[in-house]
Amino acid sequence: MSERLAVAMRQAEDLILRDYIISAASEINAGGGGNGDNPTNYGVTDFSLLATTLDTNNSYKFMSGIEGMDRFGTGPVRSSYFMLASTELQTDFDGMVGQGFKNQWDYPNNTSALQSEYGSVFNIRILTSSENPVARGTSANGQDIYYNPVLGKQAVTHINQDGYSMNLIYRDPYYSGMLAQNATLAIKFAQAQALTQDTAIRISLATRLSASL
Amino acid sequence: MAEYSRLAKGHFTSTGNAQPIFLPFQPDRVKVLNYTLAAAGAAASKIISAQWDVSMGQGIAIVQAYTSGSALVYDIVATNGISSFSEGLSLQFGNNILLGASGGIAKTSATVLTVTTTAAHGLSAGNWVVFNNLYETATTGMQTLAGIPFQVVSVTSTTVFTISWVGNASNLTAIDGSATGTPGFKQILYPAIYVPGIAFPWSITLSAGVITVNTTAPHNFQVGQEIAFRIPSIYGAKELNQLQSTTLPGSPQYFYVSTVASSNVFTFNYSGSLSAFSVANPPFASFPGLKFAQVFAAGDVNSGGFPYNGGNLYPSPTVYQGYSTAAVNTINGPSIQGAFINATAQGFIIGAGAGTAVTGGVLVGANTNVIYWEAFLDDYVAN
Repeated sequence: MSERLAVAMRQAEDLILRDYIISAASEINAGGGGNGDNPTNYGVTDFSLLATTLDTNNSYKFMSGIEGMDRFGTGPVRSSYFMLASTELQTDFDGMVGQGFKNQWDYPNNTSALQSEYGSVFNIRILTSSENPVARGTSANGQDIYYNPVLGKQAVTHINQDGYSMNLIYRDPYYSGMLAQNATLAIKFAQAQALTQDTAIRISLATRLSASL
Repeated sequence: MAEYSRLAKGHFTSTGNAQPIFLPFQPDRVKVLNYTLAAAGAAASKIISAQWDVSMGQGIAIVQAYTSGSALVYDIVATNGISSFSEGLSLQFGNNILLGASGGIAKTSATVLTVTTTAAHGLSAGNWVVFNNLYETATTGMQTLAGIPFQVVSVTSTTVFTISWVGNASNLTAIDGSATGTPGFKQILYPAIYVPGIAFPWSITLSAGVITVNTTAPHNFQVGQEIAFRIPSIYGAKELNQLQSTTLPGSPQYFYVSTVASSNVFTFNYSGSLSAFSVANPPFASFPGLKFAQVFAAGDVNSGGFPYNGGNLYPSPTVYQGYSTAAVNTINGPSIQGAFINATAQGFIIGAGAGTAVTGGVLVGANTNVIYWEAFLDDYVAN
């Protein structure tokens, strides 16, 4: 139980930061796909536009590029921003292989790839998570909209208080009453986050090519 | 079994609109009493008291009311009764409400669109909604506004409400019962958990050095705070963009809110020229991938906290949270004006629904009525 509660606490921290970012940063609807919705599904031009926008805004990229190596099926990776995307979009990314999407296993080496990294398109490396925000059935055509933050290095910060971050609190049954019938288990934490540079972040909104996939 | 039960009570003066009550728990029972009406004696078509249990379902209430003949009877409020809520996650929506065979969206005026539903929409003024599938035909309709959050400006009846938009725009075709799509909308349940956020302008006008901005839903900006715009060129007014990419690309421009006329209107000073802004510019066919004009908060008010106007010495910030047209205090302590805050909350809502048989009065009471309430969370429920 305490293990699950600790996971829930960390997930709660993530969700708060997630919701804060999608509430505060401006949005760009995808328009490069062909599904006729608003936003559309992703096309490679959407990634180009996102990176161009952040470059014009003088954002710092997170990762330097990966130089090409003499390995079959691999190719160099550009210096990149990070996109935080939903795992449900992975089928769409796979459909863009050959159009600009490169799976992380096609990197010359994946020592710099993060565990959640799915691949890259042009100057954006894509991390996927099942907890990425999605607005169910709210696109112009009634499909799910995925909110995918794209960040430069100086966009967001997370502030911890000195000497305090989170507590996992267990009170044994001795404290519940004379009959000592009930133990309690609780979590509490404090966190603060801030957009340090609003020009270095864009929320990329997209639908899927086909919701049935 | 009352070891972990929770009890709360309080009172408020009704505005006639749905009233959220914030609590440190989510109640499963609520009692409401209209003190003003009880003190006034028997009167036609008034709801005097109400009770709700979560087992009845959300938005329901059993009420005691005076009939049109001033007889005291029991009745049911079937929609917009009492409901509980826990507001912690963004992007939560209600069911998709189809406009239906006798519904539609009428181009009422240069500032108003009127939405009609076939079944009861269940909305109150101040709620936020987002539309989808606004096809009148395959090539006409209102898809250029689908996906934008709108505040319900007024509720004319249980099946009619209005929103703010350039309702006579040439790029819109009215939606009616013969629409080829399945037009509908969803209520955005918790639209303002973190504020101030992004707002979507539907009107930007310049007059005598002052720009007035009308947004589709509350902006939650404060006087003196810093804002910026992102306006795709198709809408015009690109001079306001945070990054104009003309004389000095990469050097952002910000503005300071000078007045907040209402939840959806603010002004700021501007000295340059401004090309016309119009949400009527994008043709219907351009809606796939259409990017919306946005204004967003970029900085707080450097002079600090909220001015003292009596009452609490350190008042919490107020937020237009989507429950009604009024701003409500959050659960926070004092904050810097315009700074990002969280407005998470839980509690219950006393709706403005009418009885099934007694239809004259509303549950939350008329404007200035004093309402007493009690809320409970039971730690043991037998069935």
